[in-house]
Amino acid sequence: MPESNVLDEVVRLIVEVVGEDVLVGIEITPATTFSDDLGLESIEFVALADRLRERYGDKVDLVAFLGEMDIDQIMAMTVGRLVDHIEARPVVSTG
Amino acid sequence: MSRFLFVVPPLTGHINPTVGVGGELTARGHDVAWVGHPATLEPLLPSGSRILPALDDRLEADIGHARQRWLELKGIAVLKFLWEEFLIPLAHAMIPGVQDAVKQFQPDVLVADQQALAGPVVAIDLGVPWVTSASTPAELIRPLRTMPKVDEWVTAQLRELSGSDVDIRFSGLLVLVFTSPLLVGDAFPPHYAFTGPALAHRPENTGFPWEWLSPEKRKVLVSLGTLNGAAGHRFFREVIEAVTTMPDVQAVMVAPPLDAPHNVLVRERVPQLALMKHMDAVISHGGHNTVCEALAHGLPLVVAPIRDDQPIIADQVVSAGAGMRLKYQRARAGDIHAALNGVLYDPDFAACARRVRESFRLGGGAPAAADRLEAVVA
Repeated sequence: MPESNVLDEVVRLIVEVVGEDVLVGIEITPATTFSDDLGLESIEFVALADRLRERYGDKVDLVAFLGEMDIDQIMAMTVGRLVDHIEARPVVSTG
Repeated sequence: MSRFLFVVPPLTGHINPTVGVGGELTARGHDVAWVGHPATLEPLLPSGSRILPALDDRLEADIGHARQRWLELKGIAVLKFLWEEFLIPLAHAMIPGVQDAVKQFQPDVLVADQQALAGPVVAIDLGVPWVTSASTPAELIRPLRTMPKVDEWVTAQLRELSGSDVDIRFSGLLVLVFTSPLLVGDAFPPHYAFTGPALAHRPENTGFPWEWLSPEKRKVLVSLGTLNGAAGHRFFREVIEAVTTMPDVQAVMVAPPLDAPHNVLVRERVPQLALMKHMDAVISHGGHNTVCEALAHGLPLVVAPIRDDQPIIADQVVSAGAGMRLKYQRARAGDIHAALNGVLYDPDFAACARRVRESFRLGGGAPAAADRLEAVVA
């Protein structure tokens, strides 16, 4: 899957979790941080993880990905890093 | 007769539950004292209450300024700040005063608010039994369980502070929780006592123009709590715009002075508990005290959580069917109008709020908390 599509998908899922209105005036790019720019709380990370699993299957496990990070790494976590994480794993096909 | 010492941070929402419990213990003939920041405690406690100092005005002001910076933070940075810039420094600042208070007052039991970590540190050090007052249940659901390294980071700071492996957020003897299993769930050991809110014995000296309230209107209290009120201008304006188009509604707004239409009354301070008896719904930031005060009066809520434990409390309200949730940063007048219409005119919300009220009543309130505290001494 081309990178732009994954980014678009991730942005769409973020919108579902935080709400469309949050993105008024914010352009989500690979450099956008989840914590400082989007203000994601720990429970919203979990909601995003659920949606990512529904979309990409069990191989994309955001909770496990964050589980390896310390607090500063989670604060610095960007949309681009999540996109890289998704692309680094084989996307589960429906076949 | 036993001696109970409450250790509290300089935060209204964390002091209020101890006022009800302390009042009940006093009425039963026990000796009760509070240790914390005297100027914060004095207006919240009945006159003549025994107050011991653990935080002077300068330190309290420093912490207050830090909290102002905190309001600008977002996401996980809020959590980092809470521990590094608030809870741990507050504990260090309060330890000497709490030590003096324990030596002077000689309590049989120390009752420590979950954010007054100096309490358990001193109690362990001096060998006094200590129990936890969880003024918010947010920590009970372990919100960091999905971020184990962050959870470890918190635990490491607690260990360094206390010099022990004991989790000083949770007493092994008794954890008083001022809500009900209906909101929080019931997977807790027996030493977790869910008493519902402890609302009695709270002095309310603030005046209010009661004649302004009209018996024919639906009445709404709008309160963003003691810490967030001044930062809430945008939200307050959107609420005002929403209520302007609702002629059958009166809103009492706890806010700094603002231009408002005739059906909105803006007051900087209100006698909140007394007002609840006249209200039909509450708009809140999701502070645990205000939410439980509303639910204890069977009032449905619109909750717009800002930070900290508030998203968790808001979820509990929505899950119980007792209210609707809005986004504090982004909610527009139209969203607020729709949510307010829902909780005021759809009877399901009020029915669920009354169900929560009943669960609180079963918890037993301050008398039940006092029973459990007496059992710790016995």
